[in-house]
Amino acid sequence: MTTYTLCIFTGNTIGLLNRITIIFTRRRINIESLTVSETERKGVSRFTIVIKHDSREDVEKLVRQIRKIVEVMAVFGYLNDEIVFNEIALFKISTPLGAKTLDIETINKQYKSWVVYWGLDYVVIEKTGTEKEIFEFFEYLRQHEILEFVRSGRVAVGKTEKGLVEYLPEAEWEYYL
Amino acid sequence: MEATVLLSESEAQQPNGPTTVPAAAPARIISGAEALMKALVAEGVETIFGYPGGAIMPVYDALYDYQDRLNHILVRHEQGAGHAAEGYARVTGRAGVCLVTSGPGATNLVTAIADALIDSTPMVCLIGQVGRKLLGTDAFQETDVIGVTMPISKWNYQITSADEIPEIISKAFYIAQSGRPGPVVIDITKNAQVELMSEPFVYERCQSIISYRPRVVPKQDQIEKAAELINNAQRPYIFAGHGILISKAEEELKAFVEKTGIPVATTLLGQSSISTDHPNHVGWLGMHGNYGANVQTDKCDLVIAIGMRFDDRVTGDVSAFVKQAKVVHIEIDPAEIDKIIKADAPVVGDAKEALNALMPLVQPNNHAVWLNEFKKFDAIEHEKITVPSLAPSTEKIKMGEVLDLLSIKTSGESILVTDVGQHQMMASRYYKFRRPNSLVTSGGLGTMGFALPAAFGAQVGAPDRQVVAIIGDGCFQMTLQELGTIAQNKVPVKAIILNNNFLGMVRQWQQLFFERRYSFVELQNPDFITIAKGFGVDGHTCNVREDLDASLEKMLAHDGPYLLEVVVEKEENVFPMVPAGAPISHIRLE
Repeated sequence: MTTYTLCIFTGNTIGLLNRITIIFTRRRINIESLTVSETERKGVSRFTIVIKHDSREDVEKLVRQIRKIVEVMAVFGYLNDEIVFNEIALFKISTPLGAKTLDIETINKQYKSWVVYWGLDYVVIEKTGTEKEIFEFFEYLRQHEILEFVRSGRVAVGKTEKGLVEYLPEAEWEYYL
Repeated sequence: MEATVLLSESEAQQPNGPTTVPAAAPARIISGAEALMKALVAEGVETIFGYPGGAIMPVYDALYDYQDRLNHILVRHEQGAGHAAEGYARVTGRAGVCLVTSGPGATNLVTAIADALIDSTPMVCLIGQVGRKLLGTDAFQETDVIGVTMPISKWNYQITSADEIPEIISKAFYIAQSGRPGPVVIDITKNAQVELMSEPFVYERCQSIISYRPRVVPKQDQIEKAAELINNAQRPYIFAGHGILISKAEEELKAFVEKTGIPVATTLLGQSSISTDHPNHVGWLGMHGNYGANVQTDKCDLVIAIGMRFDDRVTGDVSAFVKQAKVVHIEIDPAEIDKIIKADAPVVGDAKEALNALMPLVQPNNHAVWLNEFKKFDAIEHEKITVPSLAPSTEKIKMGEVLDLLSIKTSGESILVTDVGQHQMMASRYYKFRRPNSLVTSGGLGTMGFALPAAFGAQVGAPDRQVVAIIGDGCFQMTLQELGTIAQNKVPVKAIILNNNFLGMVRQWQQLFFERRYSFVELQNPDFITIAKGFGVDGHTCNVREDLDASLEKMLAHDGPYLLEVVVEKEENVFPMVPAGAPISHIRLE
């Protein structure tokens, strides 16, 4: 199975998420992660969808069918080495009296993670990185009691010279940047 | 209840229909419902197929004042409205319009929407919805129409305020009719129908949408590559699909074929894209297509597929289909390229534009030897299948005889509208189409019950042409209530029921592949003619061969709608036949 990251640029309309995911459902492709946010251009949203698939051809067919949706402006499909990607994870760690103390130095220096909230008898640690790095950190934290663990799903930018929005159809876009 | 809550304020302000406004007078502020009427008029809509109900009543009230500009046809069931709109769209090339209410009105339309999507038929479905404040509350007759139609429409949108109407309706027509056509669903909440617009009504037809840009004119490099393959091929073979008819490229196809001498087979929906008796026409492709047309797919060295999508009923076992050949695929929908069959030279664009661009680049040729190879198969098919079908020794009439005689009597000039099953295949086999765009049938979805409503839609769209519906006895009973619509609107449709008292195609499969275990396929039928007469439609039952000629004559000469029931042989099979999933070369003649 190969991991593919699809970047889908769309207008911002109600129900579009549903319209896009229906195509995955029809082709029985499981979505590993999905994030949506507005891009540097007002009114243009960017979906980042990660899937695992063993046929590049089928992924290409999927991409063309997504492109067919009226509100979709462009779809780009990437392999991992073609993008810079990251995700964010939050760990809620129990720290009652008498529990094993957290080694903040290791957490900061070795795992590049930060305590972002100190509760009465728990802390919340934020870790940014690839899926692999996050799971390594998860393994490290298992010596403590993990009350909650959540990942954001992947965000990615292409390793191309231009920004992907440059490939979108021309229009009088309003820039945020 | 909802109406009183939501209507009370704005209804009082509603104007009393359109009046002539003096030129100098300030523009009148109108309701959403009236804006919808004006938008439809601005789009050039002439006919609406619809059925009123609670959530669409404000629109029907506005329609009352627009009866002189918009011809509304009241159907008997919303599915009928949908298929009628499809029939209308298929013969006119313009979007068929349906107007129905929320909830069951919308869900009854679903089959027709799905049918229109898979057969690339432009349609705009205007559907009432509960008021905005009631959305999501399980209100009376509320269905999530946007959710339901999302996977079966080309585009859908929920209008929740009157001000959205002009822009969204113009987008709806643009999307439905451009690129690869398809159905668009517009869900209009009741408050949006009743409210007044905040500004005077202005309508601009949509010309483009930033995120939706179908390529019409193909890229020159794709054309050049395709032309090179065509010029170098020894045994090229054209598959002509529905796209030829949609882009009205029949003349261009004929000119292309006559210059290059390439044999042409049509798909089911591509029937009538070239005259059946054109010397280069070698038949139709697919499960029940012609012997030579199918077998020769194994022999060609180049396939030129135009406006077709390699449906599994055409390819049979895909892994064995045209493996030896290179493929030029001319198609307006990029998602169809490489979807089933890998294209060596894809040409994304409109069929007409592509053929025009190819024309100067292809060399004149006649491929006489190659074309001649089809003939030996034709001779076998003629002897083994056609002759026994058209001049049978059986006591009962055979389906083929009816179609053959109809073809002769109408000089192949009628529009045939067929349902789904054996009669559909027989119609496609034995009717000799001599005019373009003359077969309206449910191909992709295979919707039984399609023909009767689609036929009156087609007749309304093409009032100057003879429209004949070919219907099976099973199919007829799915939508026979539309006889009421036909009678009320005096639509002079002729309908022929080929009655074998069976769900014939299913029975054929049970005979051939399920050891004759006839599981629930025999029908106890009503007296169809009595039913027709009950609706006010005249009719006649033809039981014997001697009466067939006169029966068809009488039907065709009849002024107004007419139902002819022909009692045919009970257990006739359609051949040739490619068993489902088998390679095309495994085509069976018996």
